[in-house]
Amino acid sequence: MDRTAFEPTPEYGPAPPSATEAVAARTWIDPLSGFEPETPAREVPASAYLPPNTTWNETVAFKPKMYPVGRLNFFYKWPGHGGRLWWRTRYWPTRRRVLNIRGEYNRKTMRREKTILDKRPIWWTLTFLALLVAPAWVPGDAFNTVLSAAAVFGIYAAVNLCWMLVIGTAGIYSLASYAIVGAAAYGATYLAVQLGLPWWVLPAVGAVIGFLFGLLIALPALRLDGFYYALLTLGVVELCRVYVIQSRTFGSATGGIYGAPSYLPEGLSQSGQLLWGYYASLIVMVCALFLYRFVNGKRLGRVLRMAPEKKEAFAQACGVDYLRARISVFMISSTAIGAVGGFYASHFGGASPNLFSFDTLLLALAMLVIGGIGRSEGAVTGTAIVVFIDRVMIDWGPLRFVLIGMIMLLVVLFLRGGLFGIKPQFRTWRDKKKSERRASRSEKGGEMLPEEATETANKDEIYYRRFDKMQRDFLKRLVSKEVIEEHRTRPLGQHSEALDRLLIYFRRQGQIDKYAILVAEEFKAYRIVALSGHRGTTPRVVEDRTYGSPDEAYHALFMRRIQDLLES
Amino acid sequence: MTATARREVLRVDGLSAGWGPMRVIHDLDLNVYAGERVGLVGLNGHGKSTLFLAIAGLSGWQRGSILLEGHEVGRTRSQGPGRYTHLVVRRGLALMPQGDEIFHGLTVEEHLDSGAFTPRAWRERATRKKRILRIFPPLEKLMRTPVGRLSGGERRMVSLGRGLMADAGLFLVDEPSLGLAPKIGKSVINALMAVDLGDSAMVIAEQNVALLEGRVDRIIGMHAGKLKGEASVLAPGLGKGH
Amino acid sequence: MNWSFVIANAITLACIYGTLAIGISLTWSSLGLVNMAYGFIFALSGYGAWLFSQHIASFAPLVMAAGILTGALGGVLVCALAFIPIHDKPNFPLRGLIATLAISLIGNQALLWQFGPRSKSLPRLFGTWNVNIFGVVLTADKLGAIVSAIVLLSLVLLWMRSSRRGLEIRAMMMNPHAASIVGIGVRSTGFAVMALTGGLAGLAAVLLAQTYYVAPFSGITPMVKGLSIALMGGLGSVPGAVIGAVILGINEALTSTMLGGQYVLITQFLLIIVILLIRPRGIAGILDKAREA
Repeated sequence: MDRTAFEPTPEYGPAPPSATEAVAARTWIDPLSGFEPETPAREVPASAYLPPNTTWNETVAFKPKMYPVGRLNFFYKWPGHGGRLWWRTRYWPTRRRVLNIRGEYNRKTMRREKTILDKRPIWWTLTFLALLVAPAWVPGDAFNTVLSAAAVFGIYAAVNLCWMLVIGTAGIYSLASYAIVGAAAYGATYLAVQLGLPWWVLPAVGAVIGFLFGLLIALPALRLDGFYYALLTLGVVELCRVYVIQSRTFGSATGGIYGAPSYLPEGLSQSGQLLWGYYASLIVMVCALFLYRFVNGKRLGRVLRMAPEKKEAFAQACGVDYLRARISVFMISSTAIGAVGGFYASHFGGASPNLFSFDTLLLALAMLVIGGIGRSEGAVTGTAIVVFIDRVMIDWGPLRFVLIGMIMLLVVLFLRGGLFGIKPQFRTWRDKKKSERRASRSEKGGEMLPEEATETANKDEIYYRRFDKMQRDFLKRLVSKEVIEEHRTRPLGQHSEALDRLLIYFRRQGQIDKYAILVAEEFKAYRIVALSGHRGTTPRVVEDRTYGSPDEAYHALFMRRIQDLLES
Repeated sequence: MTATARREVLRVDGLSAGWGPMRVIHDLDLNVYAGERVGLVGLNGHGKSTLFLAIAGLSGWQRGSILLEGHEVGRTRSQGPGRYTHLVVRRGLALMPQGDEIFHGLTVEEHLDSGAFTPRAWRERATRKKRILRIFPPLEKLMRTPVGRLSGGERRMVSLGRGLMADAGLFLVDEPSLGLAPKIGKSVINALMAVDLGDSAMVIAEQNVALLEGRVDRIIGMHAGKLKGEASVLAPGLGKGH
Repeated sequence: MNWSFVIANAITLACIYGTLAIGISLTWSSLGLVNMAYGFIFALSGYGAWLFSQHIASFAPLVMAAGILTGALGGVLVCALAFIPIHDKPNFPLRGLIATLAISLIGNQALLWQFGPRSKSLPRLFGTWNVNIFGVVLTADKLGAIVSAIVLLSLVLLWMRSSRRGLEIRAMMMNPHAASIVGIGVRSTGFAVMALTGGLAGLAAVLLAQTYYVAPFSGITPMVKGLSIALMGGLGSVPGAVIGAVILGINEALTSTMLGGQYVLITQFLLIIVILLIRPRGIAGILDKAREA
């Protein structure tokens, strides 16, 4: 109810000077005076009316500053899950549903609804559709550049996805992935040239080479960790590069080895070749995505994420055989990377020592970092960004590497998990700020603090204390010169509203330490004592003074209580 | 108490501090005067260490004013714990943290040197080291040993000695007897009592009231992030309003 | 085979690589940062020395000082970009590593953009005389490199041992949290360390430019070598870095004499891999548990 309607009216006394602060001088007319109409009514100066719900309104008022951002946990509710709720499409061989849908009944509308909890499959599908039809929208003059870059994107994304299994899921910083691609491409090309293999054998050959290479670099991973392992793999990359540059069989003279059979059918136009290459590498990327999903999202991925570096002992104590898991993920990843390497050889018709260079490694790392380590969408998006800058914006010269470096630096300085980590990071930051502000806002005095609240058996006490605090805040504002003067002149009898409220609150106080008046000598000496609250324990004397009359004692006691109230 | 006439080494006004969503210290006021030895007593989890860390600028977030030797070192801060600690320490604070933050590879002597980073203390570090050795005689023989090889009690001595090396106006000692055998803990406390404070002050946080009773100038209780006057109101349940 | 030549070469290379490795090792152990931008600092200080010798003076100590100062400046730059903003954020070692990699990418490409791909050569700083010590013939640049590297390194190590700043740096190596409690400013010490190690890189750049050239990407190989020596010796350990530098110097000199210069990297990395497989924490990894990798 809006109590402002009860603001003082003229006949009730002069209006207060300021409308906000109600404590101002007015007169209060004793209503009991009406019983004796012949004597003039008793008029007492009193404070203005203060609605008793003032402090309540102030306490519950919404004070914190709000920004126009909020937690948008907004899920669109699709109508009617109906009978199809339990008929769920699952894709073989997993038990996973195509979409993670929760069915529920809306209690307000009494209708059946469903919510899509994880929308990522939808985004992936839309992306694939876009990628499928994208070549139709590429401008004609940039067709060659963009489509060959897109094919490179597909292959690199496949490699990065397999690499992400090692770096993100297993948390092992192996830098040898592109060395595996290079080794597989070189080996496959060499064998194809020597033995005249058809193109479809190349990925298989690459897979075998990748498996062997993976075995080679998985073994040190059992003994080394962290930067030591990263350096070792870096050493392996350097070894390969130097060997390949100097080896006559691998084309030290021609700058690479070429002559691998192409998977392109005979007699295609140039744009047809480009389209064919684009869709082939897209298929490779999709295969890598499925592999990523089957390793990262299943048992192996969980085991690996349970045993990150430096927590191996704990994982082992939980019964996780992390060595086995690490070796298997290494083997799976290297075999897949090797197969992609075989495809690479078939796509580009050979391999160049560029695959082993420090720059390739740096760019590949930039792809992972920009998208966010440990996410498949991060690997794909990061690859797209870096490949676009590297392959399409060629006329920028060395500046395009500066641009990539800048993006990488900014991402790593400000983001914890790459571009796709922005949302969770922002939420964490906002929750932290919010909770800090809330924690530093909670007021003391009356409010029970969390530690105390958990120790209190009677939980009503918590709410009583909160209410009590609010009430005292209100009563403190009622204390004024007029109230005290009114009580001094007439401690007993009918009082103005403010004084009445104060007295009722004082009377309601518990027996422990409640003030009382001790009659030392009737009509002559009164003293103020405080009750002990326990039967048999005498009250304690509070002060040395004696008062000559009961009224004087009453008022002294009142003043003492007012003082206690104002101090609390 | 005649303390009002004396110099205030530390004046904390309305300090609140905590970690993330948790508020550990609630609008706390505390004055420490020169030449005083104060005991800060309370159960664990009631904010003694957080108070010390907040004074050093190491808590998660904090709010409220902290005057150390008349200089404002507190501020409203919600990130970067420890970013300004060295400046606070240079103003004359020596924090001897819980659990011996020691430098494993340094020898005891280097360790003691590392406590004397204010320019004056660095110049006088030879005499200061002698003083520390008078307080903790067992360290004499260990001067060239790496601290990582010492036992728990010896490490505590090194950690306290490092704090006492500083040219500080305020020594904050956090649970000196924690994790030590009772006898050794008692001797460490004895050593702390023997330190000649001169113009500086010392606050000792302790869970064991008996170790401090009657040996410090005053004892302050700490309960649920608030200070509770003198030690008499410490016993649970006897406070006002229950 | 000319053994004296091998030994002289080995010592020279050991000195230069040791300088780099100690710089990397110091950065890691006191700041917890693997400085992959070291190659950039190296190339930058080479260019700084070259510009100084071209435009101002070619007096040897001054050119060297210019190189060292440019290196220190580069170190401060890397510190301001890759250490100050993220040193108290989660996952700092990895993010720092990637940030320095990004700086190296940007810096090297910027150098390429500014100075072009053609390499520059510094003037001979130590003249062109020879000296014969116990039958070992040392050319001036080698002797100069050895002497200046050893003198400056021992000065640095002595300073680390005895001075207050050195004590601060070593204390921060051991326990950064406790360091802030005793009044060591992590950020200011970070700048000091990075300036120091940058100066070491500048020194190595000037010395190595006596034999090789100054080019935009000339820093990569020395950095990889310095990093591998630092890791081989055990990250954070100065004696380990010295031992590693000596071993790699000997290896490089031996390989280039016996097999040919093109096999240096191969033998070197094989050696490093073998050593790391035998001692996973490097040669001195057990001796000094300063900071866990």
